[in-house]
Amino acid sequence: MVNENLVKDVVKEPYKYGFVTDIETEKIAKGLNEEIVRLISQKKEEPKYLLDFRLKAFKKWQKMEEPDWAGLGYKQIDYQDIIYYSAPKQKEKIASLDEVDPKLLETFDKLGIPLTEQKKLTNVAVDAVFDSVSIATTFREELAEHGVIFSSISEAVKNHSNLIEKYLGTVVPASDNYFAALNSAVFSDGSFVYIPKGVTCPMDLSSYFRINSGDSGQFERTLIIAEESSSVSYLEGCTAPMFDTNTLHAAVVELIALDDASIKYSTVQNWYAGDEKGVGGIFNFVTKRGKCLGKRSKISWSQVETGSAITWKYPSCLLLGEESVGEFYSVALTNNLQQADTGTKMIHIGPKTKSTIVSKGISAGNSINSYRGLVKVGAKATGSRNYSQCDSMLIGDQASANTFPYIKSQQPNSEIEHEASTCRISEDQLFYLQSRGIEFEEAISMMVSGFCRDVFNQLPMEFAAEADKLLALKLEGSVG
Amino acid sequence: MEIIEQIKTNKLFENQTEIQKICIDKLQSNPLPNPKSELWRLSNKSKFSNLLDYSINEKDPKFDIPFLNNTQNIIRLVIGEDNKIFLKGENYSIRQLSKNILDEYIKQKISSFDQNEHWSDLLNLSLSCEKNILGLKINGSKIPPIEIFSHASSNSLTAKTLVIFVEKNCDIELLQVNLCEENSSLSQSTFLCLEENSSIFHGVVSYGENKSHLLNSLNVIQQKNSEYKLGSLHFKLDYARFEIRVKQSAGNAKTNIKGMQITKNDEQISTHTKIDFNGPNGFLDQINKSLADDKSHAIFEGSIIVPKIAQKTDASQLSRNLLLSNRAQIDTKPQLEIIADDVKCKHGATISQLNEEELFYMRTRGITLTEASKLQLSSYFQEIISFIPVSKDRWDLLDKLLHEN
Amino acid sequence: MQRKMKESDPILEVQNLFASTDNLPILKGVSLTVNPGEIHAIMGRNGCGKSTLSKIIAGHPSYSITSGDIKFSGENINSLEPEERAQSGIFLGFQYPIEIPGVSNLEFLRVSTNARRKFLNKEELDTFDFEELVKEKLELVKMDHAFLSRSVNQGFSGGEKKRNEILQMALLEPKIAILDETDSGLDIDALRIVASGIKKISNAQTGIILITHYQRLLDEIEPNYVHVMADGQIIKTGGSDLALELEKKGYEWTDNFVKET
Repeated sequence: MVNENLVKDVVKEPYKYGFVTDIETEKIAKGLNEEIVRLISQKKEEPKYLLDFRLKAFKKWQKMEEPDWAGLGYKQIDYQDIIYYSAPKQKEKIASLDEVDPKLLETFDKLGIPLTEQKKLTNVAVDAVFDSVSIATTFREELAEHGVIFSSISEAVKNHSNLIEKYLGTVVPASDNYFAALNSAVFSDGSFVYIPKGVTCPMDLSSYFRINSGDSGQFERTLIIAEESSSVSYLEGCTAPMFDTNTLHAAVVELIALDDASIKYSTVQNWYAGDEKGVGGIFNFVTKRGKCLGKRSKISWSQVETGSAITWKYPSCLLLGEESVGEFYSVALTNNLQQADTGTKMIHIGPKTKSTIVSKGISAGNSINSYRGLVKVGAKATGSRNYSQCDSMLIGDQASANTFPYIKSQQPNSEIEHEASTCRISEDQLFYLQSRGIEFEEAISMMVSGFCRDVFNQLPMEFAAEADKLLALKLEGSVG
Repeated sequence: MEIIEQIKTNKLFENQTEIQKICIDKLQSNPLPNPKSELWRLSNKSKFSNLLDYSINEKDPKFDIPFLNNTQNIIRLVIGEDNKIFLKGENYSIRQLSKNILDEYIKQKISSFDQNEHWSDLLNLSLSCEKNILGLKINGSKIPPIEIFSHASSNSLTAKTLVIFVEKNCDIELLQVNLCEENSSLSQSTFLCLEENSSIFHGVVSYGENKSHLLNSLNVIQQKNSEYKLGSLHFKLDYARFEIRVKQSAGNAKTNIKGMQITKNDEQISTHTKIDFNGPNGFLDQINKSLADDKSHAIFEGSIIVPKIAQKTDASQLSRNLLLSNRAQIDTKPQLEIIADDVKCKHGATISQLNEEELFYMRTRGITLTEASKLQLSSYFQEIISFIPVSKDRWDLLDKLLHEN
Repeated sequence: MQRKMKESDPILEVQNLFASTDNLPILKGVSLTVNPGEIHAIMGRNGCGKSTLSKIIAGHPSYSITSGDIKFSGENINSLEPEERAQSGIFLGFQYPIEIPGVSNLEFLRVSTNARRKFLNKEELDTFDFEELVKEKLELVKMDHAFLSRSVNQGFSGGEKKRNEILQMALLEPKIAILDETDSGLDIDALRIVASGIKKISNAQTGIILITHYQRLLDEIEPNYVHVMADGQIIKTGGSDLALELEKKGYEWTDNFVKET
């Protein structure tokens, strides 16, 4: 056990990111119509192609229906009761971090993501997003020396418009699904990463998303482009205050990998999950997709999903380039009345493409935890391989674990293998640990983290520790 | 879809039985299954509509059972032809259910039917005339193997229904054979009820000639300590759906299913299974094999439902698929829904082609590619075929599979 | 192969053979001639191409010949299917015999033996006659009759698999047998059984190629020629003393050889 002490420390803590920052914000009126879409675009001083992109998406969204195939139970979302743009008030142009509202810096300090020059994390460049806008991005100059662009997407629209115009919406088209269409119409901010040809990004890049206000939705959009023979590791963290209302989060993430490029995208999602009675919490409807466009390109998703009242998320890979590789490593833990419906789609289009899926679902309390996946091998994907493993662990007799792996093949010269199992923590194992003097709850978290080891091994170091802590914290009081 | 029109306008039969009336009522406002639902999404629409494009066959021409010459002691029945059955052996009896009991049972079944999930049964019972519903009650021991035939003759849609109660402590071997002539559709619904401590070793073999269609629905209720074994094989059918629903009504039962579907040309055959554990200590071992060649499409969808009450369930499901041509398609969709925490559930799925290294090895011993493929296929088939009761002697299924096209 | 062969004509001629898999060149100009009654040994490090050579002679579909010829009894066999090569008398003993679950060993042996017999215009054997024949051949490799009822190689130990290979060789009566590391993974007793099996089957009309790392099989069966392979080529050819020298000096010794022309 690597993080035994950490686990011990946090076991008794409540959701510690639940505070609200009292800050003057600029909000627009509630509700969604064409005028609101135009207003958001106007506030961000966007070029015409982007306004057109938004308006087209909005028209599509109006004609679409909210999907119900996941069978999630939640109160109907009133899309007219949401604020679509909310930003902390600050000076028009910020020259340096010193001009950022100290309250915001303090907020990120409290979240463990210090942004100021003196305190900032040394090995990770951070883009901090607060409600609808990006507050600050660290290490920009250092990254620029390598030709790496890391900025908020709003800035990228201004400074690298050609790249945005070329790639935005090419992986997740505006009409892809209901929530992607909504995001395309109203997205406010998010991160943009561009790794030039032949460059290995010198440090991990990270975005930290903070929802602060209770009545505004968060609709961020991330776009990462890895040129030929480049590579990058990107981390994403999320928290929100505790409100007794539900907040909608509908993000879109698009990744593009060209020949021999590799992108590793890791998420630790810890949005507020609501209380033990299921009041409040974030509705997390996210579309994440990567396109392995180039030969031998690789996209690897790893995620630890512990938060949100509802999670609806299927980070996917379109494997177009010959010999491209897609990976998905996931731990999803649900407790109380949380519902998680997560998984992946691996679409094998090019020849000799490979994908690996490892999913670990842990359900406790009255929660519902579902793995939903699609592996599709097209007629031209000769010599392709997939291996999937989906394991579920149940804690308590009120939780449910579902597995829906869907496999479709049109290519005889390909191999697809899927394995799944369901287990619980056996009494014998618990007894063995306890008889060696290990506390009950600690024994549980040891076993859970052992169950998740395959996935944790894929996470960057700092994240793995964080993930272990989170699981222990989430499981508190769920057993015994 | 002539029949659907007749259901809509209630012009199907002049003299409807009570059961037909109830079913037609249920279907009238919504006579087709929802094509968007998971159960029907992949179903080929034009083939499905072909299935319904025949008129109802009310008068069956006399049917000759194939593979007759046999000295074994076997009870052979043809649904629609055999009436007033009362067989009594030294230690057993097989008798026909009285009309009252049969009607009551079916009515009670219908009341729990969901229009979409049980559409095949509702259609079957709307169309099955009284003489095509066979109800049997079996008790005793040392019962000879039973074979029951259903058959559809050319240019018609035939509906046949089978209901069997297997009483306490009774073991039977039952082979159901569904045969479709050229240009025909068969709707076969079977309801099996296993009482405590009983067992059925069940085989289902279905095949047809050119342009034949089959809707085969199998509903099994297992009471405590019963054992249900099923070996099934569907092939040579332009369009076939095999729906299996097994409910272990109080858990504590054993279910063992080995099924196979073989598709060629542009056939579509699908298997949909739903295993419901409604009590603790249930056991399931299931394997489904598909083999798809040419432009055909094989589908397997298997759901396992383990509610809170079903602690200590031990369920395993495997889906093994061979894709033999790059114009064929295989869809496989296992589905596990588990709430009980003290359970062992696992499932697996693979799609691949014949093993190249094995083929090469055989070829270096002078065995031709065709012959080597046959050897491999026969070992692939063998596991399932050996699990079909009373098939070995007279039904040389393996030969039929390997040599017929 | 209608042309009447002279007894002394070579059985196998590999002529300046280049071959690759997945566009990766593996063989880079191999030439080798095997005459009736000759035993050849091919030695070399892992990855030198010796196993590939054997698979290409047997017609493995994953490899393609980019140039050069393989002649068997004077006929070019470059484009023959693996089964046609086997029926005409080429036998490959696998380094790792393949397990084929569900296919009975007896059935497998019978079908392959009959395929060869048909080619030789011999009468095909029915189940009973075949059992007689197998019984006799089982003695050669000291195998138990029970092996026949199991699936091909499934659950066999390493030694059992290799003996099963020799049994197949005995049944098929090949003109040339290429035995790919038949000695690997065998204990001393099993090695003796295999070696004596090979000796009994070979005669003045057949050729044998032994592919091996070690001297110990060659202690049992003395080769007429020893070839050393490296990087897809035969870099040195000699008599049986070459193998002994190699055993003494190790493969580093061969690193300095230039290809002998």
